[in-house]
Amino acid sequence: MEFGYSFINTVKKGGMNLDLRCERIQIKSGINLNLIKTDKFKSNLLSFYFLRPLTREEVTKNALLPLVLKRGTMELKTNLEIQKKLEENYGANLSVAINKRGEKHVLRFSVETINGEYINNKEYIYDVFNLLKSIIFNPLLEEGYFKKSYVEQEKENLKRKIESRINDKRSYAIDRCIEEMCKNERFGIYPLGSIEDLPKIDEEILYKHYKKVIETSPIEIFFVGNYDDDMVLYMKEMANIERGEIIDIPREQIISRVKTKNMVYEDLDVNQGKLVLGFRTGIPYEDRLYNGLLVGSDILGGGPNSKLFKTVREKESLAYYITSTVFKYKSILLVDGGIEFENFEKTIDIIKEQIEEIQKGNFSEDDIEISKESLKSSTRSIKDSIFLISEYFFSQILSNDKRTLDEVIADIDKVTKGEIVEAMSKLTIDTIYFMRNPKIMNNII
Amino acid sequence: MDIKVYENEKLKEKLYYKKMDSGLEVYFIPKKGYTRQYAIFATDYGSIDNVFVPIGEKEPIEVPQGIAHFLEHKLFESPEHNLFEKFSKLGADVNAYTNFNQTAYLFSSTENFYDCLSLLIDFVQSPYFTDENVDKEKGIIAQEINMYMDDPGWRVFFNCLQAMYNTHPVKIDIAGTIESIQKINKELLYKCYNTFYHPTNMVLFVTGDLSFEGIIKVVEKSQKNNYKNIEEIKRILPTEDKKINKKIIEENMMTSEPIFHIGIKDLEIGLTGEKLVKKDLTTNIILDILFGSSSTFYNDLYEEGLINSSFGGYYTGKESYGHSLIVGESKEPKKVYERVLELIKKDAESVLSEKDFIRIKNKAIGEFLMGLNSIEFIANNFIDLYFSDFLLIDYLSLLEKIEYKDIVERFNSHFIEENVVLSIINPLE
Repeated sequence: MEFGYSFINTVKKGGMNLDLRCERIQIKSGINLNLIKTDKFKSNLLSFYFLRPLTREEVTKNALLPLVLKRGTMELKTNLEIQKKLEENYGANLSVAINKRGEKHVLRFSVETINGEYINNKEYIYDVFNLLKSIIFNPLLEEGYFKKSYVEQEKENLKRKIESRINDKRSYAIDRCIEEMCKNERFGIYPLGSIEDLPKIDEEILYKHYKKVIETSPIEIFFVGNYDDDMVLYMKEMANIERGEIIDIPREQIISRVKTKNMVYEDLDVNQGKLVLGFRTGIPYEDRLYNGLLVGSDILGGGPNSKLFKTVREKESLAYYITSTVFKYKSILLVDGGIEFENFEKTIDIIKEQIEEIQKGNFSEDDIEISKESLKSSTRSIKDSIFLISEYFFSQILSNDKRTLDEVIADIDKVTKGEIVEAMSKLTIDTIYFMRNPKIMNNII
Repeated sequence: MDIKVYENEKLKEKLYYKKMDSGLEVYFIPKKGYTRQYAIFATDYGSIDNVFVPIGEKEPIEVPQGIAHFLEHKLFESPEHNLFEKFSKLGADVNAYTNFNQTAYLFSSTENFYDCLSLLIDFVQSPYFTDENVDKEKGIIAQEINMYMDDPGWRVFFNCLQAMYNTHPVKIDIAGTIESIQKINKELLYKCYNTFYHPTNMVLFVTGDLSFEGIIKVVEKSQKNNYKNIEEIKRILPTEDKKINKKIIEENMMTSEPIFHIGIKDLEIGLTGEKLVKKDLTTNIILDILFGSSSTFYNDLYEEGLINSSFGGYYTGKESYGHSLIVGESKEPKKVYERVLELIKKDAESVLSEKDFIRIKNKAIGEFLMGLNSIEFIANNFIDLYFSDFLLIDYLSLLEKIEYKDIVERFNSHFIEENVVLSIINPLE
């Protein structure tokens, strides 16, 4: 594919529900196997999700773990051997991810494999499963701990990864706003950890932490694709490990009243100003008003029909992108846009004005319909991606949500204008973050 | 109805085709059981088509940089209705993109597909440019340009193109510059539109759980019939010198560590169709063998701390240009560059083993098959290949045909030190 400019800068919307069924089997204490049967795809996906609390104490160690585990197993001692093994298996795709879901730290290990029917080999999937199992449960050890050189190299790589946050200015600005806004809450913790922690971590400390993660974390295993009884048996056997006492991860704190407002400027040598407004909503995802908030946020800054797109971009030509996003687990809402430095105040005024419009009920039935359609459509779309299916069912478990697809869509449909107004009226500004360039600003003045 | 069906048993996919009276070609790949539908209406017109003879005129003109992209933005303008509102009401997401070679308009829907298709065909065929709406767009696009200016990944890529090419317009940023877009006006936009948005220069591709008859019915109804037959479009490309423009380009900007693109300019240009795509596949296999995560090169440099997991290589080639890019982040990009030069100076047989070739080819097959899970992958690659005169349905068979001797031959002709350039973005002091 070629590079290109898109008309709209798109951000993928968070998933909702679908009518695929998920069969959930408990394997051991705190370990569940979730099976989602579908023959629509040319491949299948197996993922292990490990859940940890998001804390300053362990965040950096958690982030470092998948990087080190990926380097070698007792059977395949180097990355080179692992990569060759994957390629021999028709480019089976091994991926690891470190994310925060609300105030939970989630480590994911996955393999995506081509279905046997395309390559006339139904057995090779076990080869790939075995590799994933070894990466997670049978890492390369030297003198009882992780291999020292792998740990040191990956510490350096993690340090560089954390530093490279600045390269993507838009997501950096969003992260920074969250950090400032939630600096006294767990949600403010950056999921890749912090550079200051790294010197204190060595192969022994990391290995001990690894043992703790394996023994005490809630583990959710997901398989999406076609399977038979033999495969289920095999997958159950994969996680047949020694377990300790399983940790309990607390639900996120929700703050609805803002005590002190923040105004944060960050001066960097950039061409475009990045503005992020952070609001507290005080509406937990279990609340009856949560769907009203989703629809309200979409009316404000969801798509090209939204109030912000129409005013900030189309009417005033101030920005190329300007959007509103709800952070489900933490009940906050962020508005972000890229603007000229001198338009800082003007843009904030318009954003505030547009929010007030919604709070006053100044939006049409059409606006409501359009936003509902958009939310429903992205909900249905999950069904077409093997990754989204897995992530979706996982998030259903995190939020203890047992609704079916039809119920989720019906709940969106039920949202009334009154609920949108009520939900959006709860928005309280907490933090304004602005990335600016003093050199360019001085030239203007 | 005069419909052609291509079938690939191994892929378990079909491709339907019909040429409309207007000359527009329509293609469709059914995806049974998929919830989403996707349609893309594209023209063979991108940022490199900046010198041409406008329709009905005799002399070539040079248009301002970034006009193809500007035109893409402005086609969303309509005197009667708000297009976004219309698509949104139907629950569909509409978007568009412009690259070096194409401009494409697309939507994805989960319901109301045929209404959306009709809307798409209609708006792309109904330009509405006024002095006022053209002027208004300049501010928005200026912010889009600024956003890319702050993206070190984008800057390092364009600097690399600058280094490789002397006169070829692929070196010019697709969106143009804040200065160049000021020269755009509605008259110029109509000139470009009338020249390049003729049905014979366009293609419509659809995928999803749909019927081809239904699609064709909508196309027949929505297509405008007032097109005159036109002669072939005359595009003028400067003759590109075989030599590279500059060996090294460095720039400083806000980034955490140096990032680099090592470019290898392709001199075997002028190919289209199967030959072009085969060259593309062959070169990509070589790059993966040499620089992929299972290569000795990658693993040695990774151990030495010279590269991280962002390192890799890929090739892009079109009829008039082509290049391999070896990209990554490094504290010492010049060392990586030296090592790349050392590697490509070696004999083909010593750096490309037949065993590696078979493994990487299998990986390419697997990755392509997995790609077909995604309707975006199917649609965007279909369009890209179509404008190079190749059908996506034939891709796997072509890939399977590639032999070891092809990669040896290509290694010897393309991986030449003289054609190598280096682009670095360094952090600010």
